[in-house]
Amino acid sequence: MTVLVILTVIDIVLLIAGLAVYLFWVGTLLTRIAGNLEECAEIVGTIVSHAKLIGPGVGHINETGGVVAGALPLLYGMAEEIVADVAASAAGAAASGGAAASGGPGADGQPAPAEPAAPGPARPASGTRRSRLLQTVGYTPASRPPG
Amino acid sequence: MNGTEHTLWVVAIIVGFVVVLAVAALLTVLIVLVKNIDRRVVTVRDTLKAAAANTADTALIPQVAAGVEAVLAEGLQHHLFLGRVLGKVKS
Repeated sequence: MTVLVILTVIDIVLLIAGLAVYLFWVGTLLTRIAGNLEECAEIVGTIVSHAKLIGPGVGHINETGGVVAGALPLLYGMAEEIVADVAASAAGAAASGGAAASGGPGADGQPAPAEPAAPGPARPASGTRRSRLLQTVGYTPASRPPG
Repeated sequence: MNGTEHTLWVVAIIVGFVVVLAVAALLTVLIVLVKNIDRRVVTVRDTLKAAAANTADTALIPQVAAGVEAVLAEGLQHHLFLGRVLGKVKS
């Protein structure tokens, strides 16, 4: 009888103690998981706040960059036209100046000194400029050497 | 206490021990699963930290947009200048 009572008490104590230990363990783990998940939620909010800037910013950059890319050929076209006009007028001035210099003498009977040749237009050392839009997208026409 | 009651008591004690062992086994499985969840949550947190570090520089995008806008304004100034020069050259 006494042995049965003792075994019964041991059984009940084991059940209660085991439940208590395991539930405390599970509670500790779940608390840690809750903390980590809370931190995850904060990080997700941070990422969302970062990502909110991407869409409008990239749209703005894309729109403005498209306008710039469309305007650059117009700019260098105007520049090349200026260079061509200045070169043509300089060549005409040089031709007329040479004809005047070889014409007649000056007031003192001596031939008039030739006017200095008009300086040519300033040309870029890199040569004639051309559009690089095709190179930008990785396309090289067959009629144009790469580079 | 007669023999039948004694036998029932012994059976009850044995069933009790079996129940204790079953509860311990099930709670061990629960602990293992919760630990697995904990590890994976830590992995997710580390991944999110790396993603946040990667997206931290998106604050520069509006500054880049302002820079591109300045390039466009400067290009318009060049356009106006070249237009004036071209008009003088042609005249």
